[in-house]
Amino acid sequence: MKILYRLHSVRKCYGSNVVLAIEDLTIVGSRLYTLIGANGAGKSTLLHILAFLSLPNSGEIFYAGRRVGRDHGSMKECRRKVTLLHQSPYLFGGTVYDNVAFGLKARGIPAEEREPIVEQALDTVGLRGFGGRKARELSGGETQRVAMARALSLKPEVLLLDEPLANIDRETTGVLETVIASLPSQGTTVIMTTHNPEHPDRLNGESILLEGGKATLPHPPARR
Amino acid sequence: MDFLISSFVAALRLIGDLSPDVLDAVGTSLAVSAGATVFAALFGIPLGLLVGLSEFPLKRMVVTVLNTLMAAPTVVVGLLVYGFLSRQGPLGVLGLLFTPTAIVIGGTLLAAPIVANYSLASVRGADQRIVPTALTLGAGRFLAVGSLIGEIRFGILAAVIAGFGRVVSEVGVAMMLGGNIRGYTRTMTTAIALETSKGEFAFGMALGTVLMTVALLVNLFLGLLQRK
Repeated sequence: MKILYRLHSVRKCYGSNVVLAIEDLTIVGSRLYTLIGANGAGKSTLLHILAFLSLPNSGEIFYAGRRVGRDHGSMKECRRKVTLLHQSPYLFGGTVYDNVAFGLKARGIPAEEREPIVEQALDTVGLRGFGGRKARELSGGETQRVAMARALSLKPEVLLLDEPLANIDRETTGVLETVIASLPSQGTTVIMTTHNPEHPDRLNGESILLEGGKATLPHPPARR
Repeated sequence: MDFLISSFVAALRLIGDLSPDVLDAVGTSLAVSAGATVFAALFGIPLGLLVGLSEFPLKRMVVTVLNTLMAAPTVVVGLLVYGFLSRQGPLGVLGLLFTPTAIVIGGTLLAAPIVANYSLASVRGADQRIVPTALTLGAGRFLAVGSLIGEIRFGILAAVIAGFGRVVSEVGVAMMLGGNIRGYTRTMTTAIALETSKGEFAFGMALGTVLMTVALLVNLFLGLLQRK
């Protein structure tokens, strides 16, 4: 059992407003967690911290046993292992291929090696042959799938999903649910926020309940 | 009315005949404006991006100063640079006063706040998800900012064009720092002012027509970019 994240006494405040106060939270590798809680409970804030896009005001975060420092190098190194997918993802101007290849390019992967990875990722989300399409001309569901392909192409250790199944059509929901559920068996840990109480069961995941910025895990107890 | 029509016809004839004086003034104007725009872009774009992307104390004050500089009267800028470049000034030894370089320096100071402000506005108006998306896909800060610039490139280009428009159409800096020397520092705007005061209305009209055409082309290009 590989422990990926350990959060200790983590607090995040905006002004005098404490939005996150987690005493201890441990995330184990190759599992699927659903992050549930009311609006304003701190779910998105927690995802941003887990994605190393923002730092808590106080507390410690350990990733794969190493303490994550505030220096840019440490954050960048951790970010390369974790990818966050927003509820309404942003696609860069250009083609679908450009978008899916973005992270690979950032990692210095040569063009000839990028191509099969991109095609494989697009295939996984049911968008084979979409590489040449203009990203800005896609429907909402297609955009969500391209963003998922872009994340999958990086084979992240952790995939953080901010309500990935909200506001999309039934077909896209089906495709994405299948992809998401299959990720832990391929070694990717998934942490997703959701308002749908059926998701933990349907995706065979464990729940982390966030209430007023405080996390409880597991809820209900892990079934694995 | 006849006077205006006959002057305009004479002006068109001067343009059509490719009058050397007209060509000189047009060439000097475009050259110093292009030079000033390049330097203004080199200073203004990074400044706008820096102010737009970072949080620091007194940021609001910096933005206010930039906004104020955007409306700086050209003669005030000309006066300031004149003070530096005149023989008694700190940079007098360089002998730059009444040269095209002096106009470029003044033009740069005029255009840089415009380029910076427009770039800043582009950053502020950019989608807030661009940088986090690039970062979460493994980009470093440099690449993330590069991605942002790529996404707002038309806004940045519009900033540069607006800066060019400011320089090419101003008269104060060109007159005070260039000295309106025929065939050397005489620009379209200074030539219009001079020739009109001499009673050469048709000549001024010819240059005015070229200047308006340049302004029109710049604005058409700007409009084209904004529609993208």
